[in-house]
Amino acid sequence: MDSTIVLFLAQDGVTNGAIYALLALSLVLVFTITRVIFIPQGEFVAYGALTLAAFERGVFPMTAWFTVALGLAAFAADVIRDPAARRPRRLAKALAGDIGAPAALLLATWVAVPLKLGPLAEVPLTLAMLALLGPFLYRLVFQPLAEASVLVLLIAAVGVHLAMVGLGLLVFGAEGFRTAPLTAAMFEVGPALVSGQSLWVLGVTGGLIAALWAFFEHTLTGKALRATAVNRLGARLVGIPTTAAGRIAFALAALIGALSGVLIAPVTTVFYDTGFLTGLKGFVAAIIGGLVSYPLGAAAAILVGLVEAFASFWASTFKEVIVFTIIIPVLLWRSLRSTHVEDEE
Amino acid sequence: MSAPVFELRDVSVAYGKIEAVRRVSLELGAGRIVTVIGANGAGKTTLLNAAMGILPAGGEIRFEGRALGHDSIEARVAAGISLVAEKRELFATMSVEDNLRLGAYTRPRGERVAAALEEVYTLFPRLKERRKQASGTLSGGERQMLAMGRALMARPKVLMLDEPSLGLAPRIVKEILHLVADLRRTGVAILLVEQNARAALRIADYGYVMETGSVTLHGPADTLANDPRVIESYLGFAECAA
Repeated sequence: MDSTIVLFLAQDGVTNGAIYALLALSLVLVFTITRVIFIPQGEFVAYGALTLAAFERGVFPMTAWFTVALGLAAFAADVIRDPAARRPRRLAKALAGDIGAPAALLLATWVAVPLKLGPLAEVPLTLAMLALLGPFLYRLVFQPLAEASVLVLLIAAVGVHLAMVGLGLLVFGAEGFRTAPLTAAMFEVGPALVSGQSLWVLGVTGGLIAALWAFFEHTLTGKALRATAVNRLGARLVGIPTTAAGRIAFALAALIGALSGVLIAPVTTVFYDTGFLTGLKGFVAAIIGGLVSYPLGAAAAILVGLVEAFASFWASTFKEVIVFTIIIPVLLWRSLRSTHVEDEE
Repeated sequence: MSAPVFELRDVSVAYGKIEAVRRVSLELGAGRIVTVIGANGAGKTTLLNAAMGILPAGGEIRFEGRALGHDSIEARVAAGISLVAEKRELFATMSVEDNLRLGAYTRPRGERVAAALEEVYTLFPRLKERRKQASGTLSGGERQMLAMGRALMARPKVLMLDEPSLGLAPRIVKEILHLVADLRRTGVAILLVEQNARAALRIADYGYVMETGSVTLHGPADTLANDPRVIESYLGFAECAA
């Protein structure tokens, strides 16, 4: 193995690792705020990639209809279950967010598909559709379970994952797709050849992490989310509604998932069920960070990416096995070293 | 006395079949301090949690003449009711100032939070010294001050304090209760739950005595402090301890 190969594998590993880092961050985000282990994260990756691929082929992405349907259901759930939601101001807000926004996206998609506007219009549309899907899902599945144990929430999350995989097969078909690369450029950096696509992935990941940091560190909404993660009752006692925090967390996670999908679509063929494995690798990284630490999770994600790249070179059949085996020593070390934190409440 | 700001009528709370609070009624006027005293396990904390909407309760809870019904905790905070919980419930990893700013979460966004922050710092100068510090690193007394300051940031009309003296050194207890007495001047109505009956009755206007879930005795604080039954059950030990 010469240095060219090492450099090539390292580049591949870091690029994939950056994607896993995004997924790990959103898993930590959702877990700390809502205690949900967000198994369907991977489906957002697949839906993101496949929705963009549909746009490219000039096919109307059914995701738009899916968002409208869930929006209607979320609106109905609000109005039926919560008398306070029937007050005129809340009703107008819900009407705009749950029905107006998905309908507007549906219309925009309907206009955009035949025009083939290119990624500059199609990527934002894809991201917007899926980002809306997150809070709707929270409203329908997880908000009614807000007081349930972590285990019950996990079971619900697995249920959502299975439903979304099935629906993905129905909507996108069994065929895999790849999108056109955002750039075909290659750069020579010393002895290594760096692809423009890798730079895109790293740039977007870096930008998103910086944006998230600024959001959590410098805005009241971001601080309110952190407060909910640190002390749920304390947050309620200062008037931060847990449900609003949950919706924002799910919106961010859905957006990050879809964005990851858009970023990997040009380099891997994505099938309706590809997301699960991608999501699991993010999950391994998040676990290494104890499901609470953002920097540890992100660093672990890069490690997962590197291990995967080198494993696929030396023992490609065992690639996945090797990646998922990392979790065992980590869990052992964690359970021996750290004091066990009981499920709160 | 003018119409009460906060009123509990026949409030009952049950954990499964066990009734922890039985038909408790009390009222609270603006600028007044009302205390609920009683032994450990008498149902005092349960009563406050029910008043805040943390626990479901029977009976009626009225704020400014309006029945709160099933209003959520958040809705009650926004209306002007705040609770400083027994465990303080601070955001341990966040700075003192962030804790305080989040206290004003329900205030309209345009409002000057800076002014409220200055007021709290004037009341608790110690918090200003420590404003960049993570709240988890504060001492017990400072945590209690921060919890009170955070509650005041919401500009409540009713402030409920659950055992503010719990786990604090006697000197700090005196300081905290002195601060509570000072708050009366801001016009806020204070509902103070305390095991430290002597100290509570000293600063309160009116008092209720709770025993195994019910109010057994109530009256003006100075009358209660001289009532032989209260002296025997709740003040005798304090005398020995003092």
